[in-house]
Amino acid sequence: MANATPSSNIIVHRAGNSKKPNPFTIVIVSNPALESTRGSGHFVIDPITANHAAFASCAAYIETSLFGGLPGQAPALLADPAIAPEVRVVSLFVTGLAAVDANCLVAEDNVSNLVMTRRTRFVPFLASYGLSGDVIYAVTGSTSHTRASAYFTSDDDAQPGNGFSLDGVAFCHRYEYIIPGTIALPVGSTSITAVHEFGHALSSYSNGMIVDLYVDDGPGVNSKRARPIPPSFANYDGTVMGSDPVRDGLGYPVGWQSYHCELLVKANPAIMDDYWLAPGGVPEACQHDRITEQFLKDRLLAKISRP
Amino acid sequence: MEPLKPKVVHDLAAAAAPGDVEKYERLLSERFTRDPDVAQAPADVAIGKARELELEKLYRKLYPQGLSSTPSVKKAHP
Repeated sequence: MANATPSSNIIVHRAGNSKKPNPFTIVIVSNPALESTRGSGHFVIDPITANHAAFASCAAYIETSLFGGLPGQAPALLADPAIAPEVRVVSLFVTGLAAVDANCLVAEDNVSNLVMTRRTRFVPFLASYGLSGDVIYAVTGSTSHTRASAYFTSDDDAQPGNGFSLDGVAFCHRYEYIIPGTIALPVGSTSITAVHEFGHALSSYSNGMIVDLYVDDGPGVNSKRARPIPPSFANYDGTVMGSDPVRDGLGYPVGWQSYHCELLVKANPAIMDDYWLAPGGVPEACQHDRITEQFLKDRLLAKISRP
Repeated sequence: MEPLKPKVVHDLAAAAAPGDVEKYERLLSERFTRDPDVAQAPADVAIGKARELELEKLYRKLYPQGLSSTPSVKKAHP
């Protein structure tokens, strides 16, 4: 059931490279309907649809954090002069749509307080507004589920890209996707949460996953498993990168098998690690580890360079 | 997946056995490392089902009265 007459408002926050037909694009959309709970097929209107001001504030937060504009924030990947002018950022606020499957971009998890994207719904939904994005944030006003999550991009491996090697294995930073990177973001998100989730969403199921570093998980581009920890973490496209033997001062818990790449700034946890534990309570000072930074930068540059 | 804030970890750990919160977090994170829209091998399907069952068990243990039983979970985002 709809809650009002359908209406939409599209804002171009950054034009990106307007000479290209398909510039690298980040879309921020208000989630029209929530699946409560995940897999139930029960859809309700997302409260965000009744709060345009909160959505606008969240969209501004996302853009600011991605480009390194939060107070005390460390230099951000997207602020790189070779990248920033090429990135298009668009927001879409929609209201009044029916709470049906096709309009539902976010689900409330059944076993946690995570909000999770319904990733296959994004492309057709945005296409109906003439939009598409490489990474898409769906902002939700769920009142019970307040923790962000993201799915990696499903690359179109039949399309070209920029090749690279990781520990001698050939991969490719693909120009195009089958399913874009998608992020479910609670409207009240703060600090570098939007940046952390962007790291996941920009990475790829088939060409390198950037995984959470605060769990004993892996393998991913940024996480491996072995004990003792070897001095070299990886050979990324001909460059040998070192391991982080101490996990940026947080320490690897006893029993963990995973280990991470060396940090660019050793004083703070990596962005993909538990940034809430940053010294002095300033997560904004965190940066990516070395391989994550280079991998994401190369992936962005590849997508930016597409014809 | 956004890391839990320290206060939430503390609250959840109070109701759990040692290692429960860490295992719960690991299993949650692991879910995102499999493309949900690509056909999985039967062995991976079985692993996924077992993971969901374990997550459900841990969820009931950590949130015995649902999400509202851990106030700091909801306060994490004002």
